[in-house]
Amino acid sequence: MAAAIETKQLTKSYKSKQAGTINVVDHLDLHVEEGEIFGFLGPNGAGKTTTIKMLLGIIYPTSGEGYVLGKEIGDMDVHRLISYVPERPYYYEHMTGLELLKFYGSLFGITDKEKFIKLLEKVNLHRDMTKTISQYSKGMQQRVGLAQSLLNDPKLLFLDEPTGGLDPIAHREIRDLILSFRDEGRTVFISSHELSEVELICDRVAIINRGVIARQGKLSELLKGGRIEITAEGVAEGLLKDMKITDANLRVVGNGFLLDMPEENDPNSVIDAIRGQNGRVISIVPRRKRLEDLFVETVSNKGANS
Amino acid sequence: MRPILAIASTTVGEAIRRKVLLIILLIGVLFIVVAPGLGILSARSETTVLKSFMLGVIQGVSAIIAVILTVYMIPNEIERRTIYTILSKPVQRWHFLVGKYFGAVASLFLMMVLMSAVMGLMFFLQQQSKNPGEVAELMKGPMMYFVQMSLLAAVAICFSTFVAPLVNFFLTVGVFLVGVFFNPLFQSLQDNQNTAPMVKGIARLVNTVLPNFANYNVQNPLINPTSAIQNEGRYYLGITVYGVVYIGILLIIGILIFDRREV
Repeated sequence: MAAAIETKQLTKSYKSKQAGTINVVDHLDLHVEEGEIFGFLGPNGAGKTTTIKMLLGIIYPTSGEGYVLGKEIGDMDVHRLISYVPERPYYYEHMTGLELLKFYGSLFGITDKEKFIKLLEKVNLHRDMTKTISQYSKGMQQRVGLAQSLLNDPKLLFLDEPTGGLDPIAHREIRDLILSFRDEGRTVFISSHELSEVELICDRVAIINRGVIARQGKLSELLKGGRIEITAEGVAEGLLKDMKITDANLRVVGNGFLLDMPEENDPNSVIDAIRGQNGRVISIVPRRKRLEDLFVETVSNKGANS
Repeated sequence: MRPILAIASTTVGEAIRRKVLLIILLIGVLFIVVAPGLGILSARSETTVLKSFMLGVIQGVSAIIAVILTVYMIPNEIERRTIYTILSKPVQRWHFLVGKYFGAVASLFLMMVLMSAVMGLMFFLQQQSKNPGEVAELMKGPMMYFVQMSLLAAVAICFSTFVAPLVNFFLTVGVFLVGVFFNPLFQSLQDNQNTAPMVKGIARLVNTVLPNFANYNVQNPLINPTSAIQNEGRYYLGITVYGVVYIGILLIIGILIFDRREV
């Protein structure tokens, strides 16, 4: 599949009197495929927004290369095919929702009022399009931001913290909109702290820490390594020990035992063995590895790389 | 051209809603309205005082508006991150800077037109002869002030591409005051035969680098008909061309700096 975003050793350095040269983004190799939702994760100050600004041509890399939709970053032709919604966006407050779309549309030469209204319908703001931005709630401002980002029918959208500071309902609305972008064949690049959100919608993620990519890959692969907990009673401890399950932990719980084993093992064989000894399975609990676990593990262990 | 116009019109929309500017404008208009009453306070001719005061108000208020409007213009866009959304569209940085400048100048134009219209009306009502020609003559002042303020706005926009707003404020006001009050002094130093060559050189340098805002102080010939400008049309055209060229240079410098600046 073609790359929507590709960076090779992309670096952004700043000079500081106290600390000398600081690499805010350090030899970044990023690969985002077309048509996917890509989560760009990292703690505060990790270099997420700096990376996005470089990809948009708003700031200039110190070294390295970057390509967006096959063209070098900063190429003005690419700006016709991409969109950006910044973190905590601010829009001209004196404008109505409709006027805001007219303004951003005029930057592309788009003057079609029907299109503006359709976009406002898509983000469920058509009933509020004559209200000024100053009258909009945070969620409405985020939605009007998404509407403006669709004006040019973009192939690639950059969303910086799209659900930051929003209530659960607004979260869900924005999430559904982002998923609809993928269904429409667009590539979505999301920078976010909302790990549960990212886990729900992203195909692939990269975790950046102190300017360095610590992990990058398919979410399903990165989250491999979950565990299964089986609680049973009426069975001899020796039986479970005899099964020789690698990396398993066994401990006594009440009258029975709790077996904690990697998810790669087949739980049916364990259950069959327990039943074969007239034991009783009390519970089977899959403990899936969560993105939050991976994130914390990665950020606290900078050397991780996959 | 399209992005420039869009950015300029948005800038006008914002500027005419800024309360601080509207309050300053309102104070200016109020001063102009009460100006006819001030004639009795002076021993000079009532008409002379009226013209002088009203033109002074328009120039002073316009200068304050021009500085406040432009000094924070670019930094505000960066701080509020509105610039990021705009620059992520097919908009070059120079489109943005020039659009902001034209928006500022258009806003100044609207505000100065309002003050000039009130001045014209008050002057007409005050006149015994009710001569519209004299009102039209008086309008030459605000017209030249408009070029002067457009130049001042260009100075502020140029500085705003590389200095912080507070520094910009003092720099812009400083350049304006030097240009208004000291340019004639530097000019006379430059022209005087007895001036030392080094002083002459410095005077020439200052006169060349700093815009000559004093050119546009045309109130004296408008107030006092005995000090008329020789070949008036040519003079006005000359200083307008001077202003436009200077504005062009300042904008080009600003664009070159802004183009490489991290925002």
